[in-house]
Amino acid sequence: MIGPEDVGGVHVKYLYHCRRQLWLYARGMRPEQLSATVQLGEAVHETSYTRSSPVDLGAAKLDHLDGAAWVHEVKSSSRPSRADEAQAMHYCYRLRAVGVDAQGGILHYPKTRRTKRLPYTTQAAEQAEADIAEVLAVVSAPDSPPLLARSACRGCSYADYCWNE
Amino acid sequence: MPTAARTYWLTTSCRIRRKDQSLRIERPEGAPVHIPVTDVRDIVACEAVDLNTSVISLLNQHRINVHFLSHYGDYAGSLLTADTSVSGQTVIAQVGLAADQTASLEIARAIVASTAVNVRRVVDRRLLNRPMAVLEASIADATTREQLMGAEGTFRRSAWAVLDTRLPDWLRLDGRSRRPPRNAGNAFISYVNGIIYARMLSAIRLTPLHTGVAFLHSTMERQRHSLVLDLAEVFKPLFAERLLLRLAGRGQLKPAHFETDVNQAMLSETGRKLIVQTVRDELAVTIQHRSLGRNVAYDELLYLEALQLTRRCLEGTPYKPFRIWW
Repeated sequence: MIGPEDVGGVHVKYLYHCRRQLWLYARGMRPEQLSATVQLGEAVHETSYTRSSPVDLGAAKLDHLDGAAWVHEVKSSSRPSRADEAQAMHYCYRLRAVGVDAQGGILHYPKTRRTKRLPYTTQAAEQAEADIAEVLAVVSAPDSPPLLARSACRGCSYADYCWNE
Repeated sequence: MPTAARTYWLTTSCRIRRKDQSLRIERPEGAPVHIPVTDVRDIVACEAVDLNTSVISLLNQHRINVHFLSHYGDYAGSLLTADTSVSGQTVIAQVGLAADQTASLEIARAIVASTAVNVRRVVDRRLLNRPMAVLEASIADATTREQLMGAEGTFRRSAWAVLDTRLPDWLRLDGRSRRPPRNAGNAFISYVNGIIYARMLSAIRLTPLHTGVAFLHSTMERQRHSLVLDLAEVFKPLFAERLLLRLAGRGQLKPAHFETDVNQAMLSETGRKLIVQTVRDELAVTIQHRSLGRNVAYDELLYLEALQLTRRCLEGTPYKPFRIWW
């Protein structure tokens, strides 16, 4: 199973989004590549914001780190979510761990042309650390977490797996 | 399979070359065809195909499998890309299940029972009443895979006999024969089964399951993808028997579609094209899925079946093999 250093942005995002998805993801279920939505998202990602430079931190990979050490994340959804925030804070935590003095995260929602600025506070740092522990707890559980309400699964690439009878 | 990309079927012999990031298909007659590689899910080559290293590396980058059917109509093999979807955690669960006598027998039983239901649904409900009852009893009694396979064989023999009554003389099976098929009917069934085997292999490769660890057929025997044999079983009647009856009933199949020799038969060039076309169209037929609540192509049913088995391995939810429900 994965250790604390293997926990990446995707794990944290799934922790907030759907625990079941996180549990399955850790066990090698990766249907994302088959989803047309995901493919579209990847194509958009490849062709837009070409001036930004992705930063690879091993397990975590973030979209862009600007000169003032703010983490930039581009989101394809139109609605901000707790998962997006947690992911950005996780990147800050990771950057701090390797000695980069990350100031916080800026979430971009190009669909609605909104951005959201989240400074990295001590409270956020504690939360990021707690998230990693929580991810490990969910992943190492022997049984899968329960299904969410059906309407919440709309558009999820795991829906075929979960709801196929 | 669930994606924007699609399957390409090559029914004439050709050469595949790489042209930058796209595939260039050169045929002996006609202009070459260019295909953007992102549009390809996988390729089924029904005739001889030439490939080189640069094509293979492009295919590998985009995780495109190529399946080859030989000139005689049997499955010849596949060019499989690196096994990127297989996951250790899932395979360990799968192997644990296969090694567990009671669990694997339960899955094997379910596969045999569902296959029989599908055969009966396609061939004839009334005449197969009794063989079905016999099969159900022997499934309940069976304690090993071999007994299950034997029971299935018995049922299949009666099903083929019933199938013969609905076919014109020249298409009759007179008992199933393989490698080589003895007559036209057998050649048809073998060919379609080969295609379904290839499609199932593609489908399982998209899931984290291992293609070799099986529940009904013996695991990794003769280097075959045994799990593919297991799961393809339930879909064979939907395609092979059903299309044979349909094409025969419509008078679409002609003796000219086969090259028959003494004690051996294979499809002719035109026959192969007709069948590939038919199967391809059939795979694209959609039905309203009961639990997903959306339209699903027959092709996607194969993938959903593999997902269901993944669920059985990972979470222990009961595995209910595909049964024709419409």
